[in-house]
Amino acid sequence: MHILICTGGSPHSEAAVRLGGYVAQAAGIPVTLLTVTKNKAGQVHAEAILERAQALLPADVEAERVVRIGQTAEQITRVAIEMRQDGKQVLVILGERAHHGLARRILAPTVKRVLQRMPGPVLIARGKVSPPKRLLVCEGGREPTLLQRLMAQLEPLVAQADALTVLHVMSQMAAYPGVRGWELRADAEELMEAHAPEGEILEEDLEQLDQLHVYSQAKVRHGLVVKEIMKEASSGDYDLVVIGAHQGKGWERFLLDDLAQEIVDLCDRPVLVV
Amino acid sequence: MGESPETRAVESIEKPVPDLAGVRNTTLRRLAKVGLFVVSLFLFILAITLMKEGARDLGPVVRDRFQVTNAANSLGFGWLFAYVVMSGSPVAAAALTFFDAGIIDRLGAFAMITGSRLGASFIVLFIGFIYVLRGRNRSTSLSMGLLSLIVTGTTYLAGLGVGLFLLDSGVLDGIQLRSGAILTSATDAIFDPVAAFFLSFLPEWALFVVGLGIIIVSFNLFDKCLPEMSIKESQVGSISRLVYRPWVMFMLGALVTLVSMSVSVSLSILVPLSQRGFVRRENVIPYIMGANITTFVDTLLAAVLLDNPPAFTVVLVEMLSITIVSILVLGLIYRRFNEGMMNSVEWLVSDNRHLAGFMVMILLVPILLLFL
Repeated sequence: MHILICTGGSPHSEAAVRLGGYVAQAAGIPVTLLTVTKNKAGQVHAEAILERAQALLPADVEAERVVRIGQTAEQITRVAIEMRQDGKQVLVILGERAHHGLARRILAPTVKRVLQRMPGPVLIARGKVSPPKRLLVCEGGREPTLLQRLMAQLEPLVAQADALTVLHVMSQMAAYPGVRGWELRADAEELMEAHAPEGEILEEDLEQLDQLHVYSQAKVRHGLVVKEIMKEASSGDYDLVVIGAHQGKGWERFLLDDLAQEIVDLCDRPVLVV
Repeated sequence: MGESPETRAVESIEKPVPDLAGVRNTTLRRLAKVGLFVVSLFLFILAITLMKEGARDLGPVVRDRFQVTNAANSLGFGWLFAYVVMSGSPVAAAALTFFDAGIIDRLGAFAMITGSRLGASFIVLFIGFIYVLRGRNRSTSLSMGLLSLIVTGTTYLAGLGVGLFLLDSGVLDGIQLRSGAILTSATDAIFDPVAAFFLSFLPEWALFVVGLGIIIVSFNLFDKCLPEMSIKESQVGSISRLVYRPWVMFMLGALVTLVSMSVSVSLSILVPLSQRGFVRRENVIPYIMGANITTFVDTLLAAVLLDNPPAFTVVLVEMLSITIVSILVLGLIYRRFNEGMMNSVEWLVSDNRHLAGFMVMILLVPILLLFL
């Protein structure tokens, strides 16, 4: 695995560099520091940004520096795809300045554009950044599970965690009064005991984490997906929230709501989109 | 290269034998549905004709006994009337016949139609209560009914303001769909003798009551001749698992209700979409909002059958005002609206006192409106 840290020299970019440094150090993997400048005149400034970024990394983390000229999101995606073509699994890390409401919709910040284009995992540094020891994995309830995808792409991140909570939000409600629905009020234990579809997935995740000797627990919340994830993220002392990327291919992508983007917009701590 | 006789022989053996009995049954079922549709349409037109005839004689009762003289008490009257007949469409049709007979004015008809939808959205909640009385969980049984009611209440009350403005401005007066002279004379030729037959042994006002009964029967028959819904097999069939964009669910709700004509029937169509009868909370509100617009399609048809252009305008304004409000909500404040509605439902089902207070309110408000 390889880590691509993108920085523009701003405070939120520096948070991304520090977070990337923590992940790289824990997993023992090298990083590439990338900055993008609009034209050649910015080359010297770009080198200075990378110099400063490298100083923020732990001393034992090996780093390569890359300067690209062009549009930021496009260049980030291009570098990541080039690295993937070399056979590396790439984790892109970048920071985000807070944009709100209409400005966010019109400006389409770099993070949003990278998320739309990137085929691999993207880690967004937000809020307070610390070594990712307490993870919240928001399981969506489809196969392969989010944990399986996370393990396939970033196993070192899971293996070095002190505690991992697998959360599933059941946003379902009865479609009509006559519907029975004990599942609509059940907690994780009850769903697992009854082998409900949601319980099966949680059980599968816990078994997988047991094999890695990671302390884990399963939680189920009932309510709107984004709202419940936000509640859980702020109620627990999590260092990192892991969510699935916007799913669907082709025109299905236009039918389905982009909950991942909404969570990234609202979350007050680092979010990993897998 | 041509096929060998052996290959052809094997293919002929492997070809599935068509299930003739199954095909015949499906064809018969489809023909029966078409027949049922024709019967329900016949009854619908007959009902409108009878209600139109009978409404003229009901003026004094509606105006003096029920005090339906302005927009506020028309709203309350339509609301309570829908509670009594447990349906909104017959009341909306009645509002148009009252308007056609000159008993209520344009604003009154508009408000009464709005009231009919508010009353009709109580039906799913009422069914939920029956399940609660039979020992089912309160939250599971009542959530959908409460949600349907408060979403409808919120959007329709906001739409009332938009609609009154549109009616006043007269911007839609020029848009008309007339039944045409040939169709009008054809329906007159068929249905006037039936009305005359009823008049031979009933007072004129009783034609309205008979018409109301027939229209309720015709709506029940319409429900029975709904085509088999194929959304289960389509991309949006998985609304119990996946979260769709609000606009997608809005369009789906509008489309399904365009065929079913009833919001409660549209909601019941969601049940078989998942084995457990669940639907994602995120998907429900836009679906109800879409359904709330096209549920007026039968009222629009009633206006065409009455051959009354201002009545057509009233229904068109109703549909347009709800569309405007829904688009504004979905485009500008959808997330907050969704959360607000869900929080309200949770608060209502969390305590018997909250629920009782809400029930008293939705019963008292239309009664109070009637006295304004």
